[in-house]
Amino acid sequence: MTFIQSFILVDTLARFHLKGEARQYFLGYLWWILEPLLYVAVFYIVFEKLLQNRQPEFLYFLMVGKVSFIWFSKSVNQAANTLESNKGLIAQIYLRKELLPMAVIHQGFYRQGVVFAFLFLFLAVNGYTVTLTWLWVIPLALIQALLISGCGLLAALLVCLQRDFRLLVQLGTVFLLFMSGVFWDLNAISNEEARRWLLILNPLAALIDAYRQVLMANTSPHISTLFWALGEAILLLALAIGAYSRLQFWIARKVVSR
Amino acid sequence: MQFATEANPEYNVFAGINLSVSAGERVAIVGRNGSGKSTLLRIMARIFAPTSGHVEWARGTSVSLLSLGLGFSPELSGRDNAFLSCLLLGLSRREARQSLERIEDFCEIGAFFEEPVHTYSAGMRARLGFATALLNRSQVILIDEILSVGDKAFREKAREALEQELSDDRAVVLVSHAEDQVRRLCQRAILLEQGAKVAEGSCAEVFARYAQGPL
Repeated sequence: MTFIQSFILVDTLARFHLKGEARQYFLGYLWWILEPLLYVAVFYIVFEKLLQNRQPEFLYFLMVGKVSFIWFSKSVNQAANTLESNKGLIAQIYLRKELLPMAVIHQGFYRQGVVFAFLFLFLAVNGYTVTLTWLWVIPLALIQALLISGCGLLAALLVCLQRDFRLLVQLGTVFLLFMSGVFWDLNAISNEEARRWLLILNPLAALIDAYRQVLMANTSPHISTLFWALGEAILLLALAIGAYSRLQFWIARKVVSR
Repeated sequence: MQFATEANPEYNVFAGINLSVSAGERVAIVGRNGSGKSTLLRIMARIFAPTSGHVEWARGTSVSLLSLGLGFSPELSGRDNAFLSCLLLGLSRREARQSLERIEDFCEIGAFFEEPVHTYSAGMRARLGFATALLNRSQVILIDEILSVGDKAFREKAREALEQELSDDRAVVLVSHAEDQVRRLCQRAILLEQGAKVAEGSCAEVFARYAQGPL
């Protein structure tokens, strides 16, 4: 299969599965927007109303963080299960195994496009000025897409190795939820060195912080932390591609024998 | 060539098998359940790699397993599933779209073609699956007992369609318990028993040996 054929297959699998998924629910495609909104609502009620959080403009602060985080966590958790769940297909035909988690990750790209559009509209309607600075969202989203692809592919491979990794991947995303400044401000870390290392070692935290700088503060993001995020995303993706290129038959044996 | 399972690496599904298939040849693989027939086909289709030994095909040879319902998703319509199957078989998007009418005509499921596959009966799924499987254009076709599915009328239609599709110079390797099917489609057969090739020759000879039971 050529690269173009592979891309068409991945894109078609993504679009058709989104269609199939929407068919299962009464509200269909509306869930693409409702799901992140409901998460935001829960966190808003707990932190703003119950805990009297003093973060200014907390609702918008939370939306930007949560929307970006859900894209990552949902895509990686779904991708983690794809090799096992496609056992039947893997047993019937030779197919580059990475196409299966990539199809699921690609579904996330479609969903996130709609969610981002809703977010931008919501911010614009609520007084945030739309400027050319907002174009920084494009490279930020590209870096996040690379990060999701690398993490998703590796997660699928690990679950193939041992099912226990499925639980570890879920726990890992919960850990990242707390460590990425999704519902708290990274600037609240008084230790400058600790904050710097958090942004370097956690590319998701760096990206969420950057989205807020761009969309809420209307400033360009810190390039140095973005380079770290880009470098880490590329490294993870390269690791994943290298592993898949060597382990095609190993994956088939592992998955089909279960 | 040999193959050991992932679950029990000490157990060889089969060992010491040597098999060659020439262009246009039709070979049957016969044997009791658990003799390694399906695993052998999957190694030939490059789905698995052998534990030791190797599989060699002439440069540029396309090989695949004839599969019913390749990539079928229950929530998608028959049309969408057929389109996906075509892409998985290596057809281009245009070829896949052009094939949909032929698939719809063959499977004879009427308006259900637009309905989700989870609403289909087993027979309807088999019809749709077989209709898409026929689009397989590989030079070597590996068939693993798929001719045994569906009702009698469908099996007859499927048999005729398959024989028509295979009336060219494509090589076929067929796994089947049905002697009349093997005799009709194949020129040569091998018998697998407990992972080893115990007989090879004409279909009549091999089935005669098969009928004697295991040594």
